[in-house]
Amino acid sequence: MRLRLSDYFQTLSEDLRRDWQLYLLLAPMMIWFLVFLYKPMHGLQIAFKDFSIFRGIEASPWVGFEHFGALFADAMFIRAFWNTITISFLGLIFAFPVPILLALMFNEVQNALAKRWAQTIVYLPHFISVVIVAGIVINFLSPSTGIVNTVLGWFGIAPIYFLTQPEWFRPVFIGSSIWKEAGFDSIVYLAAIAGVSPTLYESARVDGASRWQMVWRITLPCILPTIIIMLIIRIGNLVEVGFEYIILLYRPSTYQTADVVSTFIYRTGLQGTQYDLATAAGLFNAVIAFVLVYTANRISRKVSSTSLW
Amino acid sequence: MSAVDISGVVKRYGALEVVHGINLAIEPKEFVVLVGPSGCGKSTTLRMVAGLEEISGGTISIGGREVNKVAPKDRDVAMVFQNYALYPHLDVAENIAFGLRVRRERRDVVDKAVAEAAQILGLTEYLKRKPADLSGGQRQRVAMGRAIVRKPQVFLFDEPLSNLDAKLRTHMRAEIKRLHRRMEATSIYVTHDQVEAMTLADRIVIMSNGHIEQVGSPMEVFLEPANTFVASFIGSPPMNLIDATVTSVGGVLHGVIAPENGEPAQSLPLPSAFAAGAREGQAVKLGIRPEAMGLHPGAAPAIDCAIDLVEPLGAEALLHGRVNGQAFIAKAETPLDLSELWSVERLGIDTARMHVFDADTGKTLKARG
Repeated sequence: MRLRLSDYFQTLSEDLRRDWQLYLLLAPMMIWFLVFLYKPMHGLQIAFKDFSIFRGIEASPWVGFEHFGALFADAMFIRAFWNTITISFLGLIFAFPVPILLALMFNEVQNALAKRWAQTIVYLPHFISVVIVAGIVINFLSPSTGIVNTVLGWFGIAPIYFLTQPEWFRPVFIGSSIWKEAGFDSIVYLAAIAGVSPTLYESARVDGASRWQMVWRITLPCILPTIIIMLIIRIGNLVEVGFEYIILLYRPSTYQTADVVSTFIYRTGLQGTQYDLATAAGLFNAVIAFVLVYTANRISRKVSSTSLW
Repeated sequence: MSAVDISGVVKRYGALEVVHGINLAIEPKEFVVLVGPSGCGKSTTLRMVAGLEEISGGTISIGGREVNKVAPKDRDVAMVFQNYALYPHLDVAENIAFGLRVRRERRDVVDKAVAEAAQILGLTEYLKRKPADLSGGQRQRVAMGRAIVRKPQVFLFDEPLSNLDAKLRTHMRAEIKRLHRRMEATSIYVTHDQVEAMTLADRIVIMSNGHIEQVGSPMEVFLEPANTFVASFIGSPPMNLIDATVTSVGGVLHGVIAPENGEPAQSLPLPSAFAAGAREGQAVKLGIRPEAMGLHPGAAPAIDCAIDLVEPLGAEALLHGRVNGQAFIAKAETPLDLSELWSVERLGIDTARMHVFDADTGKTLKARG
């Protein structure tokens, strides 16, 4: 074993000597990971301590899983957790296919100028700050001056208070998220489509396939590995919901459907200074995310031979 | 009625014309090979027949029906591509069945056709494999299977063997030939390989710069090249083209090779078939196949030369040398002692097999019967 370890270090030192330029290029990213992702993990122990900001992490006493018990007994956390899952799941159903459909549609546009214009128009919202997007949404949905309620008014429909009624929060959140990100997310699929050999389509044309058959029988199966990878990543993020955008859009009156784990952590940890409880919630979130992405990856590898690792 | 009739077909990309009004009539069951160097317009012509490229001018008819504006799927053609164009997510059976499935043929018809094609092509045991698990030759056979099951009027092959190694190419060439005999379908085959063209074709169409240079059977284009392009393209090694001037020597027209670096002028009598089309003082190119040059001239006309390279190929050897400064290649049986070839100073020329081309136009001076 000692011999193996020494062999390993010898190989490593030889690699470092030979390819030091490559390792130098890698260094900034490694440092970034260590400082911003690995070093903060040290703070995770707060989740298992009765943390006091004055005593510090090390001097705070261990309390085991007490905070996790408190969390699971907290109806607000349970609600936030299920809201997170629900919003993410609805996003998976409604938002995940939209970039794929957009990419397929762009691919069918024959006129290069029209294609460029269409792509630019749907990419643009991605570059607008989430604060401005929230402002636009709030303005559009305003019961008194918003364009949506104005149009509804033309049909004799009374103004709807979209942002104060809990049942409207999820459609508004998911709909505006799709508007903001679907275009930009379609780039990945467009790149995958660009990788499909044009002779496959030519061959299909000669064989008698219609445009629809080419999309269904060639394009979609050929980009399936990309779709699966994106799906795995998305499943890994099921417990992560765009927390800034929710904070900008939600009101106490919509907490019932809008409050998610990240906003719960923000309110509990930062506003309520219960750092230990918030860390426990965050750690729980991370563990769930890891289990989800690991499971999705395993299933994908078995079913489709495509996986992240 | 021709199976395929290409009449005055032009292809332009913007202002650039790449195919300049070509005419070609292909008979039913004929195997026609379009051959030429890269960029000569052969693949573009094939793609116009398939309907994958629009025609800028002229007409293309298949089975007597003009198809200029007909979609590829309605032309009743099947095409085999250079890179196989197999669907990576489908297995061999599904790939072969693709053309029938998209046309919504009945399942039993599809299954029967796939089984037949697989049996013809020796793919029966690979039907459940994905293309990634097949060798190059097997992939090409799957591509051919996909074409066969359609039972089209015309098969189109776009350099189908280019991605295979030399040994497999020879094997697949023979398979394609056998398949054509069995299917008796009209076939148009594009290649840049003149050996493929010679071995496969009923008729060869030699193309250059968007023009058809010559159409004929393999032996016709080999024995009776219409111009210097065909002469130098067909045959391996290509025909030697030696600059000369037509001069009357004792009342007989000769091709005189000008003196160079102190080497005296040399002359070869023009074959009578060419002499009739030549005039004194005309600048010509003497076309001599490497096989028409002999090591032991005897009484035959001969030329002095200097050998600068010998390439032994086994039973034969190629002699690279110069005649009055002009490069040539001769082919000879390999003697036991290779040094014999290095010391060759004079080569006999079988002038009966010699060709004469006008130096300016490149056209043969042989009077056409």
